[in-house]
Amino acid sequence: MADAIALPQARPVQPAVQFLRVIPGVLLLAAVGYAGKLLERNVGTYAKAHHWTFPNIEYVLWAILIGLAISNTVGVPQIFRSGVATYEFWLKTGIVLLGSRFLLGDVLKLGGVSLALVAIEIAGAIAFMTFLGRAFGLRPKLTSLLAVGSAVCGVSAIIATQGAIEADEEDSSFAIAAILALGALSLFTFPLIGHALHLSDHAYGLWAGLAVDNTAEATAAGALYSDAAGKLAVLAKTTRNAMIGFVVLAYAIYWASQGQAKMVGNKAAFLWQKFPKFVLGFLLISVLATYHFFTKEQATALANLSRWAFLLTFAGVGLRTNFREMRKQGLRPFAVGAIGEVVIAVFTLALVAGAGKLFGF
Amino acid sequence: MSSNTVSLNTRNSWLLSIDSWAVVVALLAALLIRFGVFTRVPW
Repeated sequence: MADAIALPQARPVQPAVQFLRVIPGVLLLAAVGYAGKLLERNVGTYAKAHHWTFPNIEYVLWAILIGLAISNTVGVPQIFRSGVATYEFWLKTGIVLLGSRFLLGDVLKLGGVSLALVAIEIAGAIAFMTFLGRAFGLRPKLTSLLAVGSAVCGVSAIIATQGAIEADEEDSSFAIAAILALGALSLFTFPLIGHALHLSDHAYGLWAGLAVDNTAEATAAGALYSDAAGKLAVLAKTTRNAMIGFVVLAYAIYWASQGQAKMVGNKAAFLWQKFPKFVLGFLLISVLATYHFFTKEQATALANLSRWAFLLTFAGVGLRTNFREMRKQGLRPFAVGAIGEVVIAVFTLALVAGAGKLFGF
Repeated sequence: MSSNTVSLNTRNSWLLSIDSWAVVVALLAALLIRFGVFTRVPW
């Protein structure tokens, strides 16, 4: 219950002041994202005009690479940081708007398949990460945080669990650093593996949504493959995110039974508090699209708006990834995370292949 | 990671959570498009 912890209160900041503070960073996100879009359009044309052989690099990758270059060379100045942190808001807004591209029947069908795979993935990932953490002698609560981060939804799950199991700030920093570093790696490795294995858009999207931990990275890894794969990755990842409350509640009850965390009083209220509300927004827009509340042109406009929101997200993924900061966090949590991620990636790939045979995709 | 710290610490000063704001803004945008305030969004 991260929100219920009595933190030392800083002077309250007025929403208007807070809004002004994020403007420089949001403009930076827009500039980096738009530069990625311009590069996608112009580099290919330039290379073709000069008869160069140059791979077609999508705006997603350009935006991430420009962000990474800024973050890991000159760094992100303080004035931009609040705004850059809004990438998570743009991500969730983009996902809600993307609901216009899914008819309810598709959501129920694909979501049903995803839900079954997600349940198996979560159980397998938690069991394996717990075993691995013990084998490497990590602190038990750090192991719990890494397990939740790998199994459910990366940084958000770690932050939600940290409060619920009363883990140290240091443990959650280790776990977040490991998950972010591995997320950054997955952006580059997943599309390569997908192409090498000739995965269909459907199979790849499902795999990225099941195996990549952070929602932003899962969305980007899907979009790097194709538009259709990006849509599927978002759906599978959103299904995974919806499970966060149950997993955090289970951990909270376990650590309370060990006498190392507070008991959870009202379990229904706890589940509601941890439930990612943007999933409801996504479903609502999908229901509206299914019952023709939007014309075809309006649905296209909403889908384009969602792409603009994702453009800011992808810029933010690059800008907030600083490899120097991650290196400072130590090797063991990273090693546990890396081994776990490889095993989870192979495990989920096998799950997707099995589901593909069963459902024919 | 500084960005994560910022988003965590400033959540309360935004009145609503990031998730709720995302839903509010997306629904508002959907309504503006639905009722013709914005007719098309180029990409």
